[in-house]
Amino acid sequence: MSDVRPLRIGMVSPYSFHVPGGVQFHIRDVAEHLLGMGHHVSVLAPSDDDTELPSYIESAGRAVPLPYNGSVARISFGPVASSRVKRWLAENDFDVLHVHEPSSPSLSMLAMWAATGPIVATFHTSNPRSRAMSAAYPLLRPGFEKLSARIAVSEDARRTVVDHLGGDAVVIPNGVFVDRFAAASPRAQWQGTTERPTLAFLGRLDEPRKGLQVLTAALPEVLRAHPGVRLLVLGRGDAEEALAVLRDEPAAREAIELLGPLDDDAKASLLRSVDAYVGPHTGGESFGIVLVEAMSAGAPVIASDLGAFRRVLDDGELGLLTRTGDAPALAEAVRAVLDDPAAARARAQRAAVGVRRYDWSRVAAQILDVYDTVTLGADKVGEDPRLGLLARWRPKVS
Amino acid sequence: MDHALERLDGTWGVVLLTVLLLLVVGWYLSYLAARLDRLHHRVETSRAALETRLARRAAVALEVSRQLAPPAGEQLRLAASRMVRAPDAPVSEAGENLLARALHQAFADQKQVTRLRADPATGELLDELVLAGERVQLARRFHNDAVAHAQRMRRKKVVRWAKLAGTAQMPQMVEIDDSQPESLAWQPPPQGGIA
Repeated sequence: MSDVRPLRIGMVSPYSFHVPGGVQFHIRDVAEHLLGMGHHVSVLAPSDDDTELPSYIESAGRAVPLPYNGSVARISFGPVASSRVKRWLAENDFDVLHVHEPSSPSLSMLAMWAATGPIVATFHTSNPRSRAMSAAYPLLRPGFEKLSARIAVSEDARRTVVDHLGGDAVVIPNGVFVDRFAAASPRAQWQGTTERPTLAFLGRLDEPRKGLQVLTAALPEVLRAHPGVRLLVLGRGDAEEALAVLRDEPAAREAIELLGPLDDDAKASLLRSVDAYVGPHTGGESFGIVLVEAMSAGAPVIASDLGAFRRVLDDGELGLLTRTGDAPALAEAVRAVLDDPAAARARAQRAAVGVRRYDWSRVAAQILDVYDTVTLGADKVGEDPRLGLLARWRPKVS
Repeated sequence: MDHALERLDGTWGVVLLTVLLLLVVGWYLSYLAARLDRLHHRVETSRAALETRLARRAAVALEVSRQLAPPAGEQLRLAASRMVRAPDAPVSEAGENLLARALHQAFADQKQVTRLRADPATGELLDELVLAGERVQLARRFHNDAVAHAQRMRRKKVVRWAKLAGTAQMPQMVEIDDSQPESLAWQPPPQGGIA
């Protein structure tokens, strides 16, 4: 499929691999896929010295917690990190530099400032136009001018780039190893029966944007039609708040099984086993990777009608969409899926085919095409000479 | 001490301030010039990349045209052969649009594409055509983005007033139809295969 020559690729993660997160998983997966294709990949990331890291990840030193975009990110920023970035660039002689999320103060931003040559940036988040961003933009503009290519992981993330930063970005979705989910083995304890169908929820329990509270509020109504339903909840965090609405609903409380955080294999098995996956998110999702994972595993999907989810589910072709934050509507959709399992299965089968467009084999090829385009006839990645008087005195080339 | 301050207030102060101001203005101008220089470089590199991609698409389209029956095949052959050129020849927007139209016409019919794909060699050729088209889209996006940034800088009053761009021409976006025929759109592999 790919006819791209072997490249030396430098990737920069803004967040520490010490903490799990969508951006880190994305970088890990794409790096491993590209390594498997015979490219050289080095990932620079903040990390605490005691964390075990795969050999292709280079530590850029300690990360500090910083609240960002509604959650806490661990990042590195400052003169020490900056000189570490420069050393890494000098040591590696990259053909292309790929920074992730360079609009937040992070290693990525430092790398974008420090380097010249082919630089690619991926924007992961989507958020409405913010005052802080608009105010900061004139300061950031010179850095963004250096980017040879900008990638957004979804149409929503692209909108954010266009609105905040101007210019454009190409949309290349997040990737998933579809086969890992498709080939996972179901586990009997999570498989539903006609009497006791199972639903799955994945995500932080105490982050309202993941929407567990909407699902728990919908549960009593679901139970009235299907009294045997079990809701399997995977994720870390404190469920107290989301369960508070069920104070007077002991049956609903009993239908919920908290599994805690599980590893990747168990997650895939869970999605393979259940009768439906529910994504009641209320916002903050720019792509919807968890939906794609559920679709890969062949689980029927019921999700909020957020823009990103709408697109992943082909406007309801590949799964049911319900009004965001609307518990009664969600209850009705869940009932519809449990009432007519054949229709749900048919949709899930279509989804399992459609989801192939997010498989890493395709997504990584698209990313490689970007690298190939920006390196075509370009110099290697080098250190940016300081802009200003001194730079002007250098003999002019070309 | 008092004496020194008094003197600073006077002529020396004015001189010092002027020198400082000139230094700051000089630094700022050279900083803008360096940014502009870099943007021009990006425009040139990305334009060269786009030209290479367009030449590649034309070459593949020409090859594909040999597999098609006339008249669509003949039309595509004509349009493509006009665009097969030395990689550094300037882009002909009209010619590229003609090629795009010929491609759309040649692959208007999904059934015909399915028939063509029945032959594995032709199928591979069509995949290559799609890939070449996707790469044109990427290269054009990146080039036009560079042009947009460069144009923005060039329109700044300071840049115009100080003639920082010198004699370099105002970069222009490449406006061509780079859409791909629907019928060639990417399809998921039939049975969980690896693409």
